[in-house]
Amino acid sequence: MIQLEKIYKWHNNGNNRVFILKDINLSIEEGAFISIMGPSGSGKSSLLNIIGMLDEASEGNYRFLGQDVFQIKEKQRSELYKQNIGFVFQAYHLIDELTVYENIETPLLYQKIRTAERQSMVADMLDRFNIVGKKDLFPSQLSGGQQQLVGIARALIAKPKLLLADEPTGNLNSKQGEEIMELFKKINEEEGVTIIQVTHSEKNAAYGKQIINLLDGRIEKK
Amino acid sequence: MIRNYLKTALRSFQKNRFFTFINLVGLTIGFTCCILMGLYIQNELNYDRFQQKGKRIARVIMAYSFGEKINKGNYTSTKVAPVFKRNFPEVESAVRMYQSGRIVKFEDKVFNEKKFMYADSTFFDLFSFRLRQGNTSSALAGPNKIVLTETTARRYFGNTNPVGKTLLINASQTPYLITGIIQDCPENSQIKFDFLASFSSMGNIQEKTYWNANYTTYLLLRDENSFTSLQNKIPGFMKKEMADQPNTYVSFELEPFTKIHLYSPYPGFEPNNSITYIYIICAVALLILFIACFTYINLGTASSIERAKEVGVRKVLGADKWQVFWQHIGESILLCLISVVISLILVAMALPWFNGLADKHISYSALFTPLNLSFLLSVWIIVSFAGGSYPAMVLSGFQPIKVLKGLFRNSSSGLMVRKSLIVFQFMISVFLIIATLVIQQQMKYIRSKNLGYEREHVLLLPLDQKMLENYPTIKTELKKQTGILAVSRAVSNPTLIEGGYHMRSDAMPPDGIVSVTASPVDEEYVRTTGLQLVAGSDLTQQDMENADELKHPENPAYQFILNESAARELGWSAQAAIGKKMFLGDDRPGYVKAVIKDFHFRSLHNKIEPLVLFPSSWSSQMLVKLDGNNLSLAITGIGELWKKMVPHRPFEYRFMDDAFNELYESENRLAKVLSVFAGIAILLACLGLLGLSSFAAQQRIKEIGIRKVLGASLFQIVKILSKEFILLALLAFLLAFPIGWWAVNRWLQDFSYRITVHWSVFAITGISTITLALFTVAFRAIRAARSNPAKSLRTE
Repeated sequence: MIQLEKIYKWHNNGNNRVFILKDINLSIEEGAFISIMGPSGSGKSSLLNIIGMLDEASEGNYRFLGQDVFQIKEKQRSELYKQNIGFVFQAYHLIDELTVYENIETPLLYQKIRTAERQSMVADMLDRFNIVGKKDLFPSQLSGGQQQLVGIARALIAKPKLLLADEPTGNLNSKQGEEIMELFKKINEEEGVTIIQVTHSEKNAAYGKQIINLLDGRIEKK
Repeated sequence: MIRNYLKTALRSFQKNRFFTFINLVGLTIGFTCCILMGLYIQNELNYDRFQQKGKRIARVIMAYSFGEKINKGNYTSTKVAPVFKRNFPEVESAVRMYQSGRIVKFEDKVFNEKKFMYADSTFFDLFSFRLRQGNTSSALAGPNKIVLTETTARRYFGNTNPVGKTLLINASQTPYLITGIIQDCPENSQIKFDFLASFSSMGNIQEKTYWNANYTTYLLLRDENSFTSLQNKIPGFMKKEMADQPNTYVSFELEPFTKIHLYSPYPGFEPNNSITYIYIICAVALLILFIACFTYINLGTASSIERAKEVGVRKVLGADKWQVFWQHIGESILLCLISVVISLILVAMALPWFNGLADKHISYSALFTPLNLSFLLSVWIIVSFAGGSYPAMVLSGFQPIKVLKGLFRNSSSGLMVRKSLIVFQFMISVFLIIATLVIQQQMKYIRSKNLGYEREHVLLLPLDQKMLENYPTIKTELKKQTGILAVSRAVSNPTLIEGGYHMRSDAMPPDGIVSVTASPVDEEYVRTTGLQLVAGSDLTQQDMENADELKHPENPAYQFILNESAARELGWSAQAAIGKKMFLGDDRPGYVKAVIKDFHFRSLHNKIEPLVLFPSSWSSQMLVKLDGNNLSLAITGIGELWKKMVPHRPFEYRFMDDAFNELYESENRLAKVLSVFAGIAILLACLGLLGLSSFAAQQRIKEIGIRKVLGASLFQIVKILSKEFILLALLAFLLAFPIGWWAVNRWLQDFSYRITVHWSVFAITGISTITLALFTVAFRAIRAARSNPAKSLRTE
């Protein structure tokens, strides 16, 4: 599903080149559940953003579902992204002005899905995550765990093949974190959604089937 | 999708109440000003346009000279219309008109009617006024026929049909037969009347002279392109006509009817406007709209930080750049729509006030024509895009990753744009403030200038033929009243004396005549108006009798009062002039009795020119000088006397002060309009500054926190935050200074007597602008400086 070859990422800081990622080679099959670990500044999030097409590498090749991500046109990449990738953030990043229902619905709007279909999809998702009663609340009226639940529901609504999560439990207490991890595991096992998560916590990393350790922009061991 | 955007927009308006409120206020003021001024400009541009034959109509301007200087005026004698029609094939028809006040009586109703118009029966050939009743070919044919407007008919006759009834006109109570009812004159027409009487009613109308120019002549040309060809024929033709008067020059110029109101220096029956003022108003309206837009752009960009996260999330969820762009343009359109709707309500509320300010009768419904609505629609869309596209571009260009990671920094190039906008806004404001201050100073100078006569406590009363017969008694009775110092009769009061004559001294050859303004007065004129004698003595009762054309039809003897300029013009010093022989016109020989100090007998736009006051029984107004101790008592007394002595006329008076103010009506109006809009402009500019400084405070909140933790005082932080913006205001002031200097001096050129623009105007403007800017910036800066550093420094 994902092939990364010789991925480099750097910033130019004056005359110095500051490397964030160095020579990343990675192949990920569909159905995988990968945890990326590493200390602050090791390039975890950068790698996730490159995989998630939010950022480009300075050098290297990236194939996603057989397409060369860095070579295809902006529009195609956007389509590829919209169809296949869902994102979950540490700070949830829900739109404050929209209700739970509307937040979950938003990705479908950008995929131009008809109203009736949209309604049933959102209703299903609310049902599945057990948040029907909260659908008309605004993010500020929810606890952190509930907000992250909505964030995940929103990431999954368009039935992506790949779910990317950047420290999804970082702002949550351990009990809430565990629930989210259980949910990830279930999604991965029952629906076959590929998951890549960045995490600091060994315990959460263990939910993954595979752990990648990053240090100073390099993969330490597989 | 639209619904999602709409919801987001409305909720974010609600969330950012402060910014939304400022935006709404700014845009609403901008739109309201624009709509009002647009209506005004449209009204002015449509002036007289309802006349279907307007493009073929010409007004005749008389040009005449007795020597070097050519005088021009919008009046002609009665001869022009018939002669031109006979001699020039280009002229299809012609009408002579004359407007004057008349006393109108029907049964027990007596009114002093101001809008009483005389016109030839050809009136209907030229002008598109519709007769509701009566026949266009006969209504004004023959003397003593009169047509009433619908409103006037209702005023006198209620719902009964007035056609066939008679009205008694003037002191002589001449019966006029009502021959028709005409539509009310549209508001934006240079020809406005309540009564339209046949021209022949005025008697001897086929005068054989080109002099006695008291009438307005309009020509209807066969072809709207024949103005020039006809104009070229006139000087030659007139040379032949005036062959018997070799020392004089008389010719005529044609003015296109539709250009009179905005382009002609000579007023019509209604006061003119100037196309320059239309341009000024147009420019001010656009400037206000610009300022409102700039404020909007500034606040839009400023609040983009708050929207950045949302944009980032939307992009992560699959929105592309254009979707984000259109979403924010959509919000802009929505916000502008709300502003437009509020503006429409405000316009409805402000229109009466605005009509008063601009002296107009614009109706609210005038706004709802297809043309205006489509114009409004385009302004709405243009402002939405102009104001919304820059913030939308900034927002749509955000990189989601940076925004969501909190790495978001606003680009410095964007800040440059916003600073320029602020500078431009302040420039406009400073310019308007300078203009307002200078205009107000000039108006104050005019009001307080010693004009050479006393205009306080002088009552002006009408004087008609019937009253003149009884004048000695009226005067005696008036002088018996308490509080009355002097009573005079004359044709003109000193605020405005017109009347083209020529004069020469006995020492000059008969063809050495010079132009002069002259006006008939009586023996108390100088005393009543407080004119100052420099040499000689005032006119006496005897001088009046000697000059009375009725008592001495063969050889009236004149004693003249000259102003200093007139004495100089004839080659005399004030002292030397006394007793010298001179001629006023061809038929008034006499001697100089007195020389008076030069006084301003026209508006201060004009230089003081030679003036002769001469004794005559001819007069049309009474001047009554009151002692000013108890004005209302004195006026009541005069009113009661009036009822007894002048039963045929309602008691109407005005003060010379008011007559004086009328001379400067358009300047006073400009001053009022400009001060209102200067106020609005500076308000909007401050809103913009408020927005930008809030933005800066928000952006630097972390810096402020750190400085506070390190021990900076409130004042130091406010200083850091304010300094930059004060510099911007200062820069704006420096840029606006020369433009303002140039513009106000241009305007002052129109006055022969004017203030010199003092540096204090610029100092006041500069200090007040910068103080205002300082307050605005400090308002947000203090808030930012007082914020809790623990909060602003807390990491995610």
